[in-house]
Amino acid sequence: MSASARPTHDAATEPYQPVFAGKVLEELQSLLGRYPTKQGALLPALWLVQRQRGWISDRDMTEVAAVLGLTPAYVKGVVTFYTMYHQHPVGQNFVQVCTTSPCNICGAEDVVRALLQATGAKELGATSPDGRWTVIEVECLGACGFATPVLINDDFIESVSPEKVPDLVKRYR
Amino acid sequence: MTRLVINGRSITAQPDQTILEAARAAGIDDIPTLCWYPKLPVVGNCRICLVSVEGQPKLLPACATQVADGMVVQAESHAAVENRRGVLRLLLERYPGDHLINGGRARPRNEFERYVVRYGVVPTPPGGRDLPLRHGDERPGDSMIRHDMSTCVLCTRCVRACEDIQVVGVLDVGQRGEHTEIIVGADGDPDKAGCTWCGECVRVCPTGAIFEVMPQQRFAPERIRHPDRVVRSVCPYCGVGCQVDLHVADNTVLRVTSPDIELDTPNQGSTCVKGRFGYDFPQHRDRLTKPLIRKGWVKEGGRWTWRGPTGRERRGGPWQTIEGEGQNAKPAGPPRSVGKSLRELSLLERLDLDIRDRGATPASWYEPFREASWDEALELTTQELLRIKGARGGDALACFSSAKCSNEENYVLMRLFRGALGTNNIDHCTRLCHSTSVAAMQRALNTSAASGSMREVEHAADVIFIAGANTTESHPVFGAAIKRAQQRGATLVVADPRRTELAGRADVHLQMQPGTDVALFTAMLNHIVARGFEDKPFIAARTTGFDAVRQSVRALTPEVAAKITGVPAELIRRAAEIYAKGPKTSTLWAMGLTQHANGTDLVASLLNLMLACGMIGRWGAAMMPVRGQNNVQGASDVGAIPFVYTDYRSVKDPKIRAEYAHVWGVPAESLSLKEGLMVTEIVKHESGVRGMYIMGENPIISDPDIAHAEHWFRELEFLAVHDLFLTETARYADVVLPGSSFAEKTGTFVNTERRIQLAREAATPPGDARYDLQILIELSNRLGLKTAHTTAQDVMREIVRVTPSWAGVTYERLDGAGLQYPVPTAAHPGTAFLFDQRFPTTDGKAIFVPVEYGPPVELPDDAYPFVMNTGRQLYHWHTGTMTRRATGLDQREPTAIMEINPADAAALGIEEGDLARVTSRRNSLVISCRISDRVARGQVFVPFHFREAAANLLTNPVLDPYAKMAELKCCAVRIEPAAVPAVR
Ligand code: SF4
Ligand code: SF4
Ligand code: FES
Ligand code: FES
Repeated sequence: MSASARPTHDAATEPYQPVFAGKVLEELQSLLGRYPTKQGALLPALWLVQRQRGWISDRDMTEVAAVLGLTPAYVKGVVTFYTMYHQHPVGQNFVQVCTTSPCNICGAEDVVRALLQATGAKELGATSPDGRWTVIEVECLGACGFATPVLINDDFIESVSPEKVPDLVKRYR
Repeated sequence: MTRLVINGRSITAQPDQTILEAARAAGIDDIPTLCWYPKLPVVGNCRICLVSVEGQPKLLPACATQVADGMVVQAESHAAVENRRGVLRLLLERYPGDHLINGGRARPRNEFERYVVRYGVVPTPPGGRDLPLRHGDERPGDSMIRHDMSTCVLCTRCVRACEDIQVVGVLDVGQRGEHTEIIVGADGDPDKAGCTWCGECVRVCPTGAIFEVMPQQRFAPERIRHPDRVVRSVCPYCGVGCQVDLHVADNTVLRVTSPDIELDTPNQGSTCVKGRFGYDFPQHRDRLTKPLIRKGWVKEGGRWTWRGPTGRERRGGPWQTIEGEGQNAKPAGPPRSVGKSLRELSLLERLDLDIRDRGATPASWYEPFREASWDEALELTTQELLRIKGARGGDALACFSSAKCSNEENYVLMRLFRGALGTNNIDHCTRLCHSTSVAAMQRALNTSAASGSMREVEHAADVIFIAGANTTESHPVFGAAIKRAQQRGATLVVADPRRTELAGRADVHLQMQPGTDVALFTAMLNHIVARGFEDKPFIAARTTGFDAVRQSVRALTPEVAAKITGVPAELIRRAAEIYAKGPKTSTLWAMGLTQHANGTDLVASLLNLMLACGMIGRWGAAMMPVRGQNNVQGASDVGAIPFVYTDYRSVKDPKIRAEYAHVWGVPAESLSLKEGLMVTEIVKHESGVRGMYIMGENPIISDPDIAHAEHWFRELEFLAVHDLFLTETARYADVVLPGSSFAEKTGTFVNTERRIQLAREAATPPGDARYDLQILIELSNRLGLKTAHTTAQDVMREIVRVTPSWAGVTYERLDGAGLQYPVPTAAHPGTAFLFDQRFPTTDGKAIFVPVEYGPPVELPDDAYPFVMNTGRQLYHWHTGTMTRRATGLDQREPTAIMEINPADAAALGIEEGDLARVTSRRNSLVISCRISDRVARGQVFVPFHFREAAANLLTNPVLDPYAKMAELKCCAVRIEPAAVPAVR
């Protein structure tokens, strides 16, 4: 990758509030100290962006590229490689349901249906009209013995059945 | 040496070679490859090159497996072939290859399809495929490069070509699994991702998923794949001198490709956007195909007489002057980042203009002219040149030769001016280019050209010091080589008032006030001397006069220089130490240094720094003035300058004069011993010049203080212009002679590293237009200087007779990569770098010339608070005669813009695209603003390509005392929002 940041002569004309300013910039700087190269800090830097913005836009990727001396395409390549970076806005609560075979056998599909209904999200990946919920299905969450596991934001909830869903959703209102 | 057997043949290889490299080196070049490409990093991801190696359980990738002693390789074993079939079959699952199911197999369309046919793989019929095709042409439509990703086989060559050869990094691989695709920047917009439209990706793509648009718009696919011929030529733009292959059909250049990457040409397979996409201007409908004579000239009693209006109207026409056009309202220019699809630029529709017409010749310009026969045009030209010579002497005539024309053409033109008209008033745009470098190098080293080669900068320099050169835009292919050098570990130090791309990438950027370079270099030398870092043995053995310089730099400490230049003293010290410690530092400079009224001093102070550190005469320590035009070096070498004949041999020396008189068959006395006038001196009332012949130059846009120049040309008694188009200058001519473009001639060109290269004719001139050389030879004969030559090769035979350093040059020897002069004998291999033993001065030593810092002529003050800098853009070329008629290029930068710092713009209440009035002590113009932090506060940058807002209206015609260079780079201006709104 390029040795240093490219000049900013094609800075976009639309107004853009950088992510890395103030406190977040400080966080990034302390982060950079932990890696031998700036490129090494790409994944955590993207996490910072996602934490601040909820998702990572093309423009954010360009900012990350400029800050770390990478090319925008490289950053985009990394963002699109990992499923855990959001390339679109997601609801305030982000729900991940395991639908891999063992959980599937134990009724994960029904859990998904119940979640969609309780949250008002129209389909997997879509955000509910009130902007609060996005549900996606994911591969094995490593809790096959406690089907069906659901990850709501950073909370790991085991043994979810369709019946438990309405209460669960209420807790996050 | 490693010995191995491939396909039953015993071969030897270097131990670090791969099986593929060893095979190719031994002439076994049919191991198939997709992801591998010469000079690109090896990724080994396509698996088509797998071969059987005896004793190995698995097939091994030939491109990524190192050779070993005793290895026995079968490239086409049963297992290998079966594997290849499998690879191809899988790729075909997502490839629109229906035409390969039956009839189309006889005509594979690309590298990938050739493998499909070669290995007898037949695609699954449509309907039977598991995966859908990738999306097709989903990329934003562009006039130069488009993507059709349905044919992509994910070899990632394009990604690596962009990242590792061009060092731009627009492309990458996105998504994963079956969704994997090639992505453009973060948002699909190549311009925003910094794409320079070089087309390197097009060149390497094995399937045509990334392709050129222009050929397809004009020719059928089969025609493009099978042109009538492919002719090796030289790019008509900058001094890098890229060799290009012109594909010709129907007497038209349909496409330009670059020669093999492994050939040792200056460009090593690359080109920039101008070379690859700027080839269509010769076919522009403005092209002159008949000679023109100004109405008013009539032939009476065997003589041409002027019967037209006199006085102000004598050269008038129904057009606005450049000064007048400067005041008009303009379209709001696009910010660079959206400079992509033209159709999206609403401003152009509003203007109600055909996009191709903005830089083109308005119909009204033709009105004062009538079409004429060659006989009439040449007769009138001959009559008038001879009349003025008879009435006022040869020195009342002058000629601008052309750095865009071949050595042969320049030679014949200077020969006819000297030999037939008896004047040395012959010059060309070198005056506005590197004349100051030549003056300074002549004083210090008695040389006029670069000491080294671009290759040595790329591969051997430890430090690259670049002063006043925006290499990635003005010499992009060399710029990419510099970026590659930085990636291999070279340190980059850039001195430039603007934050250019290289400045942005540099390890140290010295962002000084324009015109204060002497202070900067002197302070660097001051620090070096203070610390004792100078190269004492080199100074003692190879130079004279250092003591005077040591004295003269004493007062200018980095602290003092910091005040003058605005560069922190600490940075100056750091740059000085990096420069001096090398161990091999290459020194590059261009117009940022030379285009000043003290340009000679600026270059001299840089040469002092270079000599004090001994950074010349070793491989890797090159002195490189980066030459502007593709033949500015050659035009000077063959004597199209006022003081010298070929090889810089003085016109004042009667002995030398006798030699040329003899070869040309004229009496010695007919050649003038008086040095002639230079470009900038000719265009002055006191010059006494009354008649001119201008070949391929457009001084009304390129000369400083245009309003004055335009007026001056109107006052001439006779003006003949020899060009492709009716340019801003040609519209004032009496006679316009339609010549030939770069594709329509055979001739030689010299690049910035003294490399003489041969360009070959690809097409014939259109209509009645003639070969430039033919025009000049006939004119020469008519003027009474017998010129028996018929071909460029004949002319070259004469040139080498009078040019000792070219004595060994023949057209046959120029095949391939050409020859770097000096080539003193027929057996001499040419000279890649100079001065390892001695300098060509009388005592063989370089001469230090003390330089005093003087401020630029115009400093900003209350009335004119900004400093205006001028220069080139990536997509345009000089006065725009060619590039504004090249569709793809013109669309990227369609209008004149001025770069201004965001803070200054805000203070003035100017927003992106707004029009501003820029006023200098000479004149004023209205121009659209592009807000950019490339320029520092207090400075603005105006490219000089645009007739409608010509930067040179404002520039200062004050001249360098030695080289008569004008102060083009730096003048004080005032900026205010324009009273007229921009057309949006
Ligand atoms: S045109 Fe050049 S800069 Fe643009 S994507 Fe292709 S290789 Fe990269
Ligand atoms: S676009 Fe062409 S060069 Fe790039 S990965 Fe696809 S096939 Fe290869
Ligand atoms: S399959 Fe659902 S957690 Fe493992
Ligand atoms: S060419 Fe060797 S793996 Fe692609």
